[in-house]
Amino acid sequence: MNVLIPLIPLLPLAGFALTGLFGRLSPNFYKVSVWAVVVSWAVAMIVVVGALGHMGIETGGLDVKLWTWIPALGFTADFGFFVDPLTACLLIVVTTIGMLVHVYSIGYMAHDPGRWRFFSYLNLFMFSMLLLVLADNFLLVFAGWELVGLCSYLLIGFWYKRPSAATAAKKAFLVNRVGDMGFALGIMAIWTQMGTLNMQDVFAKFATVPHEWQIAIAALLLCGAVGKSAQFPLHVWLPDAMEGPTPVSALIHAATMVNAGVYLIARANPIFGAAPEVMVVVAALGIFTAILAASIAFTQTDIKRVLAYSTLSQLGYMFASLGVGAWTAAIFHLMTHGFFKGLLFLDSGSVIHAVGDEQDMRKMGGLAKKIPITYTTMLVASVAISGIPPLAGFFSKDEILGGAFKNGFLWVWAIGFLVAGMTAFYMFRLMGMTFWGPSHVDPVVEHHIHESPPSMTWPLILLAIPAVFLGMVLGLPPETGLIHQWLGPVFEATIAAHGPAEQAYQFFGIDGGLMIATVAFIAVALVLAWRLFGIDLPGLGLTMEPRPDRVREIAARPGLAELYRGSFHKWWFDDLNDFLFVRWGGRLAAAVWWFDRVVVDGTVNGVGRVTIEAGEVLRRIQTGRVQNYALGIAGGLIVMAAGYLILAMR
Amino acid sequence: MLTIPATIPLLGWSWNDLLFLLLAGGLLGTALLVVLGRDIIRCGLWMIVCFLCLAGLYVLVGNPLVAGAQVLVYIGAISVLILFAVMLTQSKSGPARLVFHHQAWAAALAALGLAAVLVIVDGATNWPLAQPDRQATTTTDVASRLFADFVLPFEVVSVLLLAAVIGGVFLAKKDDAPRSDSDI
Amino acid sequence: MSHSLDAYLVLSALLFAIGTFGFLARRNAISMLMSIELMLNAVNLTVVAFGAFVAKLQVHAAVIALLVIAVAAAEATVGLGIVMAIFRNRKTPLVDEYDAMKE
Repeated sequence: MNVLIPLIPLLPLAGFALTGLFGRLSPNFYKVSVWAVVVSWAVAMIVVVGALGHMGIETGGLDVKLWTWIPALGFTADFGFFVDPLTACLLIVVTTIGMLVHVYSIGYMAHDPGRWRFFSYLNLFMFSMLLLVLADNFLLVFAGWELVGLCSYLLIGFWYKRPSAATAAKKAFLVNRVGDMGFALGIMAIWTQMGTLNMQDVFAKFATVPHEWQIAIAALLLCGAVGKSAQFPLHVWLPDAMEGPTPVSALIHAATMVNAGVYLIARANPIFGAAPEVMVVVAALGIFTAILAASIAFTQTDIKRVLAYSTLSQLGYMFASLGVGAWTAAIFHLMTHGFFKGLLFLDSGSVIHAVGDEQDMRKMGGLAKKIPITYTTMLVASVAISGIPPLAGFFSKDEILGGAFKNGFLWVWAIGFLVAGMTAFYMFRLMGMTFWGPSHVDPVVEHHIHESPPSMTWPLILLAIPAVFLGMVLGLPPETGLIHQWLGPVFEATIAAHGPAEQAYQFFGIDGGLMIATVAFIAVALVLAWRLFGIDLPGLGLTMEPRPDRVREIAARPGLAELYRGSFHKWWFDDLNDFLFVRWGGRLAAAVWWFDRVVVDGTVNGVGRVTIEAGEVLRRIQTGRVQNYALGIAGGLIVMAAGYLILAMR
Repeated sequence: MLTIPATIPLLGWSWNDLLFLLLAGGLLGTALLVVLGRDIIRCGLWMIVCFLCLAGLYVLVGNPLVAGAQVLVYIGAISVLILFAVMLTQSKSGPARLVFHHQAWAAALAALGLAAVLVIVDGATNWPLAQPDRQATTTTDVASRLFADFVLPFEVVSVLLLAAVIGGVFLAKKDDAPRSDSDI
Repeated sequence: MSHSLDAYLVLSALLFAIGTFGFLARRNAISMLMSIELMLNAVNLTVVAFGAFVAKLQVHAAVIALLVIAVAAAEATVGLGIVMAIFRNRKTPLVDEYDAMKE
């Protein structure tokens, strides 16, 4: 096991190196990177089985120390990995979806000459994410954290010749940086307070830290998580990150990188548990992001943007779940979300590929019969995300809402309840505009609509399976299912020390009631969506025509028109950021630049200039005439003699 | 025979003092004429008179040997040499051009400063007065010193004079040997 | 007056100062040499004057003066030789035109 664990991240790293160095040489070399990830997945599955089979349960997890990274006096950091059931859950998500995305990209990027670069970056990303998840100390987590940020930048800006892509990549990196700064400060605070960065040691010692510091550390770690997981106010980079190729959106911005923040908070649960004030902030941020993003998704027309805002919204759910103390539910939702959101993105990629790289949903429609596999899998994923039983999303979402209600956070529950309905609505709006109803596709393109090649459709099918079954497998029976058996030991210490006690599930009591209420509300939202945007499932007897005129009429109503506009403009957050930071920051930067140029450079250049000019002046002394020199000597002599005289006279 | 009165009849000075004043005045006056005169030949001639006054002063002080050497060497050799050099280096435009530099004023200041410092130093020190029974130095005394205690400097100065002669000849001779590579 | 050393020293100081002025101010190279001779003579006068007023030093003063005269002669020779050589090159005896070393 000690050999297998390091192998998991090392294989993608080798793939990155080989493909990066030699990928240009042969058009098929990139397949090395795909194989690296496949083998890594296999190894990871073995490790997962081992970890979940409670090997190393005595220490709470398997610790593999590779070498001492920084053996400085007074500050040591090791390069080591730590595997416990939480790690195992993340490993399942990261490696499986990673592998399927790599296979999908073979078909998606088939026509791109920069393919080898893409795969090497993808491998680097896999390495970074695995490093982040497996790390046993905060410094290594931070290293992985920064690396995934870098890979995100590289991959969003993959088509670097497009100015919008380059700008989006920079935006992602800069916004992440803001969060990373907080994270770094948090790590420094941990070091100064506890003298160690090893996570297990930190958790053991955390109770000895003064309470203000506990709050500070938790808040700073939260900064990092907010940046990486795109919570309000650092959410602005995620929608623009859709400039990257779709596999990138699927892997990084749905299934793995954005989960890093959730993982961090879950992993650091002793820290957060000890600071309930920060937990409230976590919950508030999360649920606010959820409803903000869901409201924007109502009006977006780019298929990938809708999915991006959906991701923001679901991440908000996860944060809210963490904040109310329902730790396991958050990780459960992380897993199920990873699968069905990854599936949704890959499906959207397939759709875009089919209609000739068109991403605007208003130019789609009626695609159901033409791309059946894509359509079916996307339908499955939409049902899953909407929380319709018995698919995966229902179980995980229900646990979150139940946890919120039972732990006393009624406002979180109420907003989450609303968002569940909104989710169903905008997902089926997407389905209606894309697959059902009359076709608005450009006639030129219409002839070329075709299903994607098998390298793209097999991952779709494979992802659909967990989207359907994962909820049942992990979540039944509620509160005592597999997921709770796995993750219970990880969180029980925190729950025992700080958190609200877990109450037994009462199907015929509060839990059942909540579940029925949620499902009913979702059903209402679904019907509303179907009536406005259409549905065509003859097998279930559901057939309704879309009514775009009705949509326009509703959108034009006095109160709703402003809401529509606000939602369409993403509530003007981007404009605010542009005004504050780009414009005013730019002016500040210009002022500082003036100072640097004129004062600082001026001084330095001035010193040089003064020297040169002094030289010019002094050079006139060198007349070449001996008598002038003699006069100088005489003058000096007289001065010295006079000086002596004066001194002797005193 | 006429006897010279012990002091000057009307003024009551000693003869030595008068002689000193005359010689000193002549010295300084001719020196000023040397440095301020326009025509170089005239400057050279005034220089000769200056040296004569100096010789007189040496006799007054009681060192006739040095006075003799002064006349022989300075007037007889060096001044003649200088006059020859002046005549050989007359430039075509003649003595009508500027005699002094731009820096003449600074030079005057320097000279005045130097004089001031020296005079102040001189005034501030207590010098010994003349002994009434002072004798003139005799040649025998000087010779015995020169060839006994100071024979090394004497010999060195001889070598120096030799070197000066050779050097002077070499510097002043014309380059009249034909260049050996001009025939090739 | 002539029985005190003061007068002789002041006299030679003034002669030296005149010589300095001439050395620094005149344009002709040979005038400079003449001024140097004046300065040397001033020094000679000082030495001889000291010798006259300090009994032990009388003979030494004479010896020094003689040697100085000899050295002055040598120096005048060589100096004039140099001036001749430069004159042959530059065709002018004026020192402010010897400025080939000018920066």
